[in-house]
Amino acid sequence: MRFTLIKDLKEDMAMKPLLNGLLVFMVLYFIADFFVVNATLGLLGEDIKMTLFGNIDEFIDPMDKSVFLEYLHGQIFFIMMILLTLSTVYARLCSIKRYSIIVINILMISALLSLVTLFVSYFYIPNILGIYVISFFIWHIMAFIMALHSLWNLNFATSI
Amino acid sequence: MQQAYRYAVLYFLLFSLLLLGSSLLLFEDKIGLSVSGVLEYYLGNEDKFLVEKSWLTIVKIILPHIFAFGLFFMVVLHFLLFTKHRTSKQFIKLSYAIFFVGFLELFSPYFIIMGLDFFAYLKLISFILLELLVLYTLWLLLASIYKH
Repeated sequence: MRFTLIKDLKEDMAMKPLLNGLLVFMVLYFIADFFVVNATLGLLGEDIKMTLFGNIDEFIDPMDKSVFLEYLHGQIFFIMMILLTLSTVYARLCSIKRYSIIVINILMISALLSLVTLFVSYFYIPNILGIYVISFFIWHIMAFIMALHSLWNLNFATSI
Repeated sequence: MQQAYRYAVLYFLLFSLLLLGSSLLLFEDKIGLSVSGVLEYYLGNEDKFLVEKSWLTIVKIILPHIFAFGLFFMVVLHFLLFTKHRTSKQFIKLSYAIFFVGFLELFSPYFIIMGLDFFAYLKLISFILLELLVLYTLWLLLASIYKH
């Protein structure tokens, strides 16, 4: 987190390439995550419903409780670590303070909502899977834009 | 601490609560919150078709956790450095306690499969104690953010 203390990141020849590398890898992660989630859980409501609850007509078994909990547990850890890192980088590189706070709030609330609604829909209310899908797309798109915005500011903004 | 960072940390604490909650559910589902449950999970039970865990199976389970525990504890504890607790003895004690209890939680299953049933108690106690210690750390951080 040393980058939060450096006064002018553009002038810092050591920290700038490190942050560039981190942000490029984050962009790649968010793209790759779409493909992985699509292949494991599914991206849209009907696909996710079939993975979680199975389908008797097509002989697809529902997802086992412990498998679901392991998936959710892993997702929580990865999301919390990557979004904390992205938020701190973005807060440092985004010049408009009020704007960055709003963006961080939307990102974090949608990510939290996606995890909570996935849990609730598996155990209690399957009908709220739609909220999961919307919040999942919101936080992925927000995170993707934040990483690109940070990259832009790091390399092309006049002062950061 | 800048306001945007404070928000990021606050949400991190909420994610941490979800992580603790999911770990509790997972432990209860896979092992069970009882000594007999812990013994059955690691030593097996023919009536319930549970296979005894081998040295390698336990390594496969704890491997991602060794890295994740270290990273998670470091991140959570280092936030305390931005609060008034950074100079207190409590911070040092809490840091040692969390890492030590985390170590016991991870490695006590090896003693269970060696035949030392007593370590089933240690596994259970260390898991609950770890959850409580992390919760306490989260509480200290939340109180510091709220005061500002």
